[in-house]
Amino acid sequence: MSENRDKMEVKGLSFYYGAKQALKDINLNIKEGEITALIGPSGCGKTTFLRCLNRMHDLYAGNRYEGEILLEGKNILKRGIDLIKLRSRIGMVFQKPTPFPMSISENIAFGLRLKGITNKGEIEGRVESALKDSALFDEIKDRLSEPALSLSGGQQQRLCIARAVAVEPDVILMDEPCSALDPIATVKIEDLMAELKSNYTVVIVTHNMQQAARVSEYTGFFMLGEVVEFDHTKRIFTNPKKKMTEDYITGRFG
Amino acid sequence: MSRKAYHQSLQEVQEDVLEMSVLVGTAILGSVEALKARDITASERIVRDDAVINKKRFEIEKKCMLLLATQQPMAVDLRVLASVINIITDLERIGDHAEGIAKISVTIGDKELVKPLIDMPRMVVQAESMLTRCMAAFMARDTEVAKVICDEDDIVDDLYDHIYNELVLLMIANPQIIKEATYLIWAAHNIERMADRVTNIAERIVYMVTGSMEEMNSSKY
Repeated sequence: MSENRDKMEVKGLSFYYGAKQALKDINLNIKEGEITALIGPSGCGKTTFLRCLNRMHDLYAGNRYEGEILLEGKNILKRGIDLIKLRSRIGMVFQKPTPFPMSISENIAFGLRLKGITNKGEIEGRVESALKDSALFDEIKDRLSEPALSLSGGQQQRLCIARAVAVEPDVILMDEPCSALDPIATVKIEDLMAELKSNYTVVIVTHNMQQAARVSEYTGFFMLGEVVEFDHTKRIFTNPKKKMTEDYITGRFG
Repeated sequence: MSRKAYHQSLQEVQEDVLEMSVLVGTAILGSVEALKARDITASERIVRDDAVINKKRFEIEKKCMLLLATQQPMAVDLRVLASVINIITDLERIGDHAEGIAKISVTIGDKELVKPLIDMPRMVVQAESMLTRCMAAFMARDTEVAKVICDEDDIVDDLYDHIYNELVLLMIANPQIIKEATYLIWAAHNIERMADRVTNIAERIVYMVTGSMEEMNSSKY
């Protein structure tokens, strides 16, 4: 089986919240057009790591990165990187759906305008295709001008994915995107992820190991700010190399 | 089910398999013993008792399915359950082979055997010993023992060859005994198959421990 090329390469990444080191010397590669899952107990650094990938931490003062994160060979930790542009290339979907308090279509149009798209026809077209890509269009096509907050939790989350997809990013980061959703909405998001990967690279943080096993091609197990094991998902969940990974995924931890 | 209770259940399933293997071991030794001693009552009992083995197999399989459905086992736990499901199938079939020998004994009825049984008891002792050590290796996660057991299948195969050739010669010399001699070949063949099934179990032990699926000794039969 030939492997896809590396979309992102993380080399010797350490991260500090002020004086506290949260990530220690992380080295892993994110494959293009695949889903990479990050698992590990609470506080292990997986979300911190995810937020490094589009420099979300820069929103707060006192945070510090060391090492390199390459996106298609270019280091995104370099000074002078345009963070707005970076985040439009590497979008993010959060744990709780975060629709803006505006209409469904405006939620998506907002990011497009931020990106400098002003043509009304183009915006409408891209709103529709983003909603279709996110498997939401058929459910809400008659309600596009209604408030996004009137949607169900699962629909709101798919709207957030549509919003991320609309600006045509390279990579979509998902931080426990299903943890606030019921099982049916979860299945829809998981199906959606499988479709998204034909056009996007997806990195997902999840507490749900079965979800990681179901949806991803690669899995990284984090523990105390380090990557214990990073491998093909099928390997991690059937025969991991490290005992610590084995203990974690079989629930023999602590 | 708490994680602790789950791990307890996983352990219990393995102990159940060990228990089932003891039933099977008793049946296979008993089947040849009864055949040799011409003890039809004992042979009939072995045929009846096979139902107990079959029932045990279904009980274990149901427990495995419940754990798979409710606990989503991963990694080594998943391999243990997958292996258990395979192993109990092999154990059940070994039980059927013992039942087969017992049925042959019942069919021969009160007639004399066409030859005294010498190698067949040796063969069954070897097969039973392989089974017992294999199950100990299963509980101890001992892949080295599992591999040794696979190699020992050749001993059973050689004994089978010997019995087969001997009976064929007897049949050539005296075609009147073809029917009874053929029964004995079938009985010996049942033992040969038992040992093959034990090597399957040994392969599952290696898979369970290492995750590697490989055929370790392909029987000549």
